[in-house]
This record gives sequence, structure tokens and C-alpha cells, in this order.
Amino acid sequence: MTFLAPVLFAGLMAAAIWVSTSDTDKHHVLVVDYAAIITAYDSTLNKHYCRIPGKFQSTETITYDFRTSRPDDQDFIDGPYTLMVEFDEGISENLAGHLIYKKLPSIQVAQSITRELESTLEMIKVTEELEMDYEKYKRLRMPISLVQKDIQNQDEASTKQEQAGVGMVFSIIIFFFIFLYSAQVMRGVIEEKTNRILEIIVSSVKPFELMMGKIIGIGLVGLTQFFMWIGLSFVIMLIGQVVFESGALNSATVQGMNTGVPEGMMQPDFYAALAQNEVFNVILRINWPLMIGLFLFYFIGGYMLYGALFAAIGAAVDNETDTQQFMTPVMLPLFFSYFVAIMSVQNPEGQASTIFSLVPFTAPPVMMVRIAMGFDSGTIWQLILSIVLLIGAIVATTWFAGKVYRVGILMYGKKPSYKELWKWVFYKG
Amino acid sequence: MSSVSLKVENVSKAYAGHQALNDVSISVDPGSVYGLLGPNGAGKTSLIRIINQITAPDSGHVYIDNQPLSHEHTQIIGYLPEERGLYKKMKIGEQMIYLARLKGMTSALAHSKLKGWFEKFEIQPWWEKKVEELSKGMAQKIQFISTVLHEPKLLILDEPFSGFDPVNAQLIRNEILELKRKGTTIILSTHNMTSVEEICEKIALINKSKKVLEGSVSEIRAMHKSDLYSIVFTGNLLAFTNALWANFELVNSISEGQKHICTVRLLRGNNLNRLLEATLPHAEIVSVQEIIPSMNDIFVQTVSSNTPAI
Repeated sequence: MTFLAPVLFAGLMAAAIWVSTSDTDKHHVLVVDYAAIITAYDSTLNKHYCRIPGKFQSTETITYDFRTSRPDDQDFIDGPYTLMVEFDEGISENLAGHLIYKKLPSIQVAQSITRELESTLEMIKVTEELEMDYEKYKRLRMPISLVQKDIQNQDEASTKQEQAGVGMVFSIIIFFFIFLYSAQVMRGVIEEKTNRILEIIVSSVKPFELMMGKIIGIGLVGLTQFFMWIGLSFVIMLIGQVVFESGALNSATVQGMNTGVPEGMMQPDFYAALAQNEVFNVILRINWPLMIGLFLFYFIGGYMLYGALFAAIGAAVDNETDTQQFMTPVMLPLFFSYFVAIMSVQNPEGQASTIFSLVPFTAPPVMMVRIAMGFDSGTIWQLILSIVLLIGAIVATTWFAGKVYRVGILMYGKKPSYKELWKWVFYKG
Repeated sequence: MSSVSLKVENVSKAYAGHQALNDVSISVDPGSVYGLLGPNGAGKTSLIRIINQITAPDSGHVYIDNQPLSHEHTQIIGYLPEERGLYKKMKIGEQMIYLARLKGMTSALAHSKLKGWFEKFEIQPWWEKKVEELSKGMAQKIQFISTVLHEPKLLILDEPFSGFDPVNAQLIRNEILELKRKGTTIILSTHNMTSVEEICEKIALINKSKKVLEGSVSEIRAMHKSDLYSIVFTGNLLAFTNALWANFELVNSISEGQKHICTVRLLRGNNLNRLLEATLPHAEIVSVQEIIPSMNDIFVQTVSSNTPAI
């Protein structure tokens, strides 16, 4: 599974991309322009066409024909057209038209047609009604970019926001790792309990040792798997890049994707963006030794924290179905911390971000975002406090889990309530 | 091997309001086989767990070879629990060596000893198999071997014969006797009274968290004698019965034609000789035998009468 997983994942990604590129429907659109706002008539060709140059260009995946009158419904159904756009002179006032379809078009296609119409009408308004040069008009729009600067560090443009985004990636990794492997600890404990080997083992070793062995052992397996995944994913990504650049993504497909994909989501642009300096800056700004080091710390720490709790749950029940009632309260902080982490990307120096990076149960994912942004002398104490609190919480939780584990592993047939579990903590050895 | 003794002194243990053991004391001599008997829920398993240091007593002490129980003792104890289990997906050979190493044996030594056991039981081809591939009987055998592999000085077997067919039960019984010969002190907790009579020297009967009987098997059986004899004779039943008169009681009789099997109780201090003197003239005696209650009978009798502790 260790080797299979990254290969499968890459395969899935490739399949997804392939499906999205090869699945673009071909559309034949009939534009019914009752008031001939954008349509003109070519008597030599005996057909209508769009009188604004450059707009409504037909491509491999979408063609446009123009008319000023609408065909019968039956003719439309029988005819070659898949979509019919109709609007009249009222469109400037009520800003609405119709898109009549035989088969529901994809959101991308509908949006693309809408934008096309919007920009065409806009151009007409600008050049004909306002009699303005279109290029001048475009310059009316002033996309301002406010460069963020920290008062402490005004020489540099701050990339804190972007750094937080990178931290989010680590948060996700931690979240999934803790989620996957702590549950594994629980399952291991239950397995030992149900096949009864527990009694023999516990006649040789102390229950606490057994519990720790399980947690640490599974943790190491997880780490190994994790590093293998990273390694393999790297290799596959490299191979994937070569494959893509060599022609799997040719111009026609790109164009097809262009009409089908809404702005801002175009995949080829991602590679283009990587080449840009801006992202490079972000990567340089992150304190990588600290990032990796603390990532490992929170990775392991978060796992140990939740692993201990899961070991206790496994010991308390007899089979996996009974674990539900206990799993929910334990998983809640973990899921919650994921959401706080997302929020922290949007508001990295906010109060919620600060508080929850200190609370041990939510710290690992949230801290990743904050560490990516970096700390200054004023806030570094928060990092230290978080580390101390996490270690303290691990010790306390492990102690507590050990007590529950000790009693639970030999108890069969009872489905304990929370009160019972609490009593177990105080049972003598 | 130098044999170890086990002494349990006034041990009590309670779980969440339920008293599992109440002031229980037993004494096991070195190199002997000791039977721990009692109905289900009496407290035997609790006591065994305390000896194995899986749980600790609320009060009282346990001594192995006159040393108070310490963690090192777990290495010289072999424990076969009543509820058996092994890691299903692990290979047998590997797993047994692992369990032996948990008990302090070196890997190399465990490996060579294990080979010896596999040869003895003729199960060499099973080394690489996983536990889940075994039949129940096989798994039990494997479990037994894993209990004794590290050559423990104190062996605690909880229902060792359950699940075994007669052939394999005999096999295990022989192994137990062999181990006893080598000086292992053995505690046998079981419901199988026949094996108790056959192999145990001393027993303790635990009922409702208290010890109600302790002593050697012969002592206990003798204690529960009720002066009963079984006489088989041919002749006239009536004449025989009359001869008994007031000195003996005819408890019951079974007749097959001229052959009669009677159960007679001695009364008024009369012994067997007197019985024979009284009946010889009136019947042709085929056989006479004292009826000594079996451990099974004693068990049932003691437990159902709720005898208070000794």
C-alpha cells in the first residue's frame, strides 16, 4: 500500500485531467438577436454574422451562428444547434436574455457565452454610445495592488499572506496523518483485545509499556510511509511534468480548456505562475529549517496526543462498532483545528489563530500556518509556550490513557460510560 | 532446575463493588502439581492474574520462593490463559520466538528450543504458517508450546485441556507430567476432575471468592468418605439383607438375575471385616470395594452446600 498509494493517486490525477480535457462537449450556438444589436447581414454570403470583430469566434468546440428571428421550437429541436441565445433591444435596460438548451450545458460553457455577450455589448456601448476609444476605456479600470509591508520591516514587500498559504499545506498533511494513524492505534488495540493475546503479553510486560509500544510503533510505520509517499510523489510529479510538456497538453486542448474553464482556474497558468518571481520570493522567505523541524515536532506531537487518546478508546471497548460514541468527542478538536487553520490563512495574525495555536489539541495544524509566516521577537514566546503546552498535554494525556488502558484491556462485555472511564483512572494497579 | 514454591497470603481483591477474592491463602510446594478448583466466577482467574502481576491485590501478599512478587518473577512464570489467543496474521515460528523473548529468552536460544518442540510434536512444516491457517487443536498445541518454551519454573495452566480431543489431551497431560519430573512447579486450574485426580497432588477449592477446601487429593477424598462399600455377590438378596441387620445399611442394590451389586454403609463403628464376616455365610462374594468419593462428587457436594470457609 505504501508504494501503491502515490501511484494510484497520480493515476487518479491523470485520469481526472484526461477526463476534463477530453470531455468538452461540442456546442453549436444560435444567437437570436431580435434587434440586430450585435448582428449584421452579409448579402453576398446570405447570412448573418457578428459585426464586432474578434467576438463570438467559432472554435473546435463551439460555433456561433447569428439570426434576427427565432426558428420554430420543433425546427430547433430537429436542427443541428445545441443552444439558442435570444435577446432583444431591452437587454441594455433589463440586462437579461435567454439561453435555451436541448441538453443542459456545463456551467463553464454557459458562463463563457455570457461573458462573450457581456463584453460584446460593453464594447458596443463604449465605442458607439460613448464614442470612446476602447483601449482608452480599458485603461479606465485600475487594478490596484496594495503591497503589504510590516512596520518592523518596511524594506521588503511582505509575502506573509502567501507564506501562510504554504503553511496550510503542512497543516493538511498533519491533519490527515493524525487522523489516519491514531485511528490505526485504536484498531490495533482492539485487535489484540479481541484475539485475547493481550492476557499473555500483559503477563510479561506492563500495560503502559504495551500501549507506548503500540503508539510509537505505529507512528514509525506512519512516518516511514509518509516519507516514502513524499519520495514517490516527487518522482511521479517529475515524470508527469515531462509528459505534459512533451505534448499531451497541445494547443487545441488548451483552447478547448480555455472556453470551458472559468477565469482564474486555468491549469497551464499554474506552471506559468511558478515561474514568476513572486512565488519564488514566498518560498525564500519561509524559514525552512525551522519549518521542517517544527513540522516534525508537531507532526509527531499531535500524533502522540491523539494516539494516546485513541489507545484509551480501543482499550475501553470490545469491538469497533462501540468506538463511535467515544470517537466523536476526540475527533472534534482535530476537525475544528483544521477549520481554524483555514481561517488563519485568511487572518494570520488574528486572535483565533493565536489562541488555537496554543491549545494543544488544536495547535499542530494551526501552528503550521503561523510558522510559515515566521515569528518576530515579540511573538516568539507564543511558539515556545505552544511547544511547552503540547509536551505537557502529551504527558498528561498519555498518563490518563495509560490508566484507562490498563483497566480496559482486561474488561470484556461492558460498554463503559464516561463516568466509568473516569473511575478507571483511579483503580489501583 | 531448582524448584520454586508459591505462597499466597490473605489476598483480597474487589472490582467495582464485586468481591472477587476474600482473604484467600494457598501454599504450593516446590516441584508439585497443585490444582486450583472452583466454579466459574469463584475467583480463580482473579487469583491467577494477581500471581501473574496482571493486576495487584487490594491486600495480602504473594511470595515466590519466599521472595515478594516482583517484576523479574514474570520471566520465570509460564501462563496459559483460559481464553486463548495469538496474533492471527503473524507466522507461528516468529511469533513464538517473540513471546519467548518477552519472557527474557534470547532469540537464538528460543529458536533452537522451538525447533526441538516442533520436532517433538512433529509439526515442523507449520513453522512458516500463519496462526489463522491452523485448526483449533493445532492452535491449542502451539499455544501450549509458547507457554513452556522459555522453560518457566512456575507454570500456571488455566483449563489446559479444554478444546483438546482425547488424544491431544493425553499428549498435553504427558507433557505436564514430564515438566513436573523436571522440577517445574505447576498450578492447574480446571474443571476436569479426572485429570485432577490423576496428576494433582494438592488442591484448593475456591467458591464465591473464599477458599473452602485445601489439602492433598487423597486426604480430601478420605475426609469425604462416608463408609460406603460396593459389594458384588451371587446368591439370595433377601438373605444378604437380613445378614446386614442393624450393623450395616443397604443403601441401594442392582440385580441381574442371581448377581447383585449392593451399596452398603458401615454403621456403628463396624469395619469391613465385620461386614464380610456377617455376609460370607449367606452369599458368594464376587468383589468388595470401598467407594471413595471422586473429586467431582466432592466438588459438587462442597459447592452446592455452600460450606463456610475452613
